[in-house]
Amino acid sequence: MFRFDKRRLRFAAAISAATLAVGMVGTADAQDKVTITFANWASAEGTTRSSIEKVIANFEAANPGIDVVSESISFSEIARQLVLRARSGNPPDVAQLAGNDTVLVGSTGSLEPLDGYISKELAANLKPGADAGLRNKDGALFAFPWNQSPAGFWYNKDIMQKAGLDPNKPPRTIEELNAALAAVKSSQPGVIPLGMDTTNRAFALSSNWPWMQAFGALPVGEGATGAESAEMKAYLTWMRASAQAGYIDPGRKIGEFRPLAAQGNVAFHWDQVLLKGVMQGANGMSNDDFYKTWGVTTLPTAGGKATTFEGGHQLVMFANSKHKEAAWKFIEYLATSPDAIANYTTSVNSSLPSIKTTGNAELDASLDTPVFKAFSEEIIPTLAPQPYGPEFAAAATAIMAGVQEAVTGSQPIDASAASIQQQLPK
Amino acid sequence: MAAQAPAATQARARPRAGREPWLDWMVLPTLVVMAVVVGYPIVYTILLSVEDYNLLDFSPANFIGADNYTKLFSDPIFWQSLRNTAVYTFGSVGISALLGLALALLMENLGGARFRAIRALLLTPWAVPFVVVAFLFRYMYLQNGGVINALLLSSGLASAPVPWLNSASLALPAVMVANIWAMAPFFFLLLSAALSAIPNEVIESARVDRAGTWGMIWHIKLPFLRNPLLISSLLMVISNFNDFAKIWAMTQGGPGYSTSTLVVYVYRLAFENFEFGYASAIGVIWLMMLMVFAWFYMRALRMERR
Repeated sequence: MFRFDKRRLRFAAAISAATLAVGMVGTADAQDKVTITFANWASAEGTTRSSIEKVIANFEAANPGIDVVSESISFSEIARQLVLRARSGNPPDVAQLAGNDTVLVGSTGSLEPLDGYISKELAANLKPGADAGLRNKDGALFAFPWNQSPAGFWYNKDIMQKAGLDPNKPPRTIEELNAALAAVKSSQPGVIPLGMDTTNRAFALSSNWPWMQAFGALPVGEGATGAESAEMKAYLTWMRASAQAGYIDPGRKIGEFRPLAAQGNVAFHWDQVLLKGVMQGANGMSNDDFYKTWGVTTLPTAGGKATTFEGGHQLVMFANSKHKEAAWKFIEYLATSPDAIANYTTSVNSSLPSIKTTGNAELDASLDTPVFKAFSEEIIPTLAPQPYGPEFAAAATAIMAGVQEAVTGSQPIDASAASIQQQLPK
Repeated sequence: MAAQAPAATQARARPRAGREPWLDWMVLPTLVVMAVVVGYPIVYTILLSVEDYNLLDFSPANFIGADNYTKLFSDPIFWQSLRNTAVYTFGSVGISALLGLALALLMENLGGARFRAIRALLLTPWAVPFVVVAFLFRYMYLQNGGVINALLLSSGLASAPVPWLNSASLALPAVMVANIWAMAPFFFLLLSAALSAIPNEVIESARVDRAGTWGMIWHIKLPFLRNPLLISSLLMVISNFNDFAKIWAMTQGGPGYSTSTLVVYVYRLAFENFEFGYASAIGVIWLMMLMVFAWFYMRALRMERR
């Protein structure tokens, strides 16, 4: 039978006291530690997950008082979830957003203005125009530019050469593009001549907006000429002709073209700077081979001007956050630290940092590549802000449904344009 | 004395039956759960449907009466979505039921291990998750690189790839084919069970009366299958009326609005445009239609019990 003798009792009491003391120290430590939540899709996607987790771990190591809990949410779901969470009073501290979603979430008024957190040095180091479209009507910055990822007109030099085209002379006008697409289609029937997103979602409208502008169309926003303008009809007519000739593959998301492009089955592709990283991740191509095979330039035009859209990501802090200083520290680290820029922004995310210099000469030198240079010098200057906001989301459904009707249906283009106009928010 | 005892028991039982409460307290926990899980969302949806409520606007919602409902009548997308819902639901259920019936009749008298394996194989699509079915067919339908177009082109049946999901006129039938493929085994399973429940005496006497194959099916088997067929069809109508996963994964309601059903339209209004008020008004109309189907279903169940 078990007996409680004095020695055993003393030993048990000592163990209990020690455990209690260690527990109390642990609790005190935990109390000193701040935990912030970070809603993002970088940790939800296979290509970026390990890198963002590494960056977060490095941040935690550099800031022992801060714990980051990463919440993985898919790109297409994040705005919806953040709006619902902000509405119900439990948003995360920090979130990753992009495009119209940033302005959509910003329009709820639930984001913390960031101007007060930005030092003079950081403000001076931001690239010109990096904060375009990220200020509300009072001029307050509601989102910090994490990285820049505008879209460019990618061309596969090998496919162009096989089609009898000059691989160093990408098409500059829609007329030249049509001729190039015809040449690719007739010489290589298995190749998709032009990859572009024609799904019905806000991102697809962002992606198609520069094509509309290439024809001089401006369906919504300030100075809009509506969906029934001659320019918009010219764009819709060209889209239909391209689909009927088999130049574009309607209904695919932009991401669905990427593996095909990596296999060398897409001749021209309207996609962001991150395409390089995604393709190399898929086919293991070396940098030298990539630059030999792929080039990138501005969008061909037809009467309008060459523009592009900012597909880069932004970081936002919610006004409800109880740890704003820690949240800002984390935002600043992700956007400006050489660690985050080297391990995430320019590597797996294959995008450009939003700051002029990283403070690391080696890292700055690594940005001097043909692709990054083409984007920095040629494409980024054509960035044109889009009329983002709640109305853009509503317009996206109407416009892209009309584009799909025009591309896949047989009704007159005038009827498709009228249908879009009827559905646009009044 | 002995004859008096049951009479006395009856006399005692009658007043007790008369006192039987219309609501049994034992049902109360279930009712509370139902009120929270079903009642509250329905009442809240009805309240939202008479408000101008946008989730992005944090200011209090305005009461606008029946404005959302009047807007609905002049909304062409609502009517197109309703039409698509009807075609998708009744078309898929009708064809699946016929296919299931044909398969059940064909497989009825086939025994042995080989046919048991075929029977199991026929049931497989029912076990495949809806989203998997949707992606499976989406990739098979691809205009460039899809297996269906590859087969059509290589066999010479088509000279150019068919835009299955990219044509406004083909997309809805194409989505329905995927749905029918997944749903027909349900009818096959249910009708096979109903066929095996037909009493042998009935079949035997029909044989004695020299009933032919068609006569046997038409006059003997189909009358026995009528109620199971009706109940399963109504159940599937209700389920297909709410089918979101397959359509969203295959076409997202496109191209244009050619495959947009009520559930897809409500999703877009509520979770892309955040117009909860208008989306709720459509939800209320949708609920009323489903309640009509549910009423028919309950009636059919009662008929079956009789």
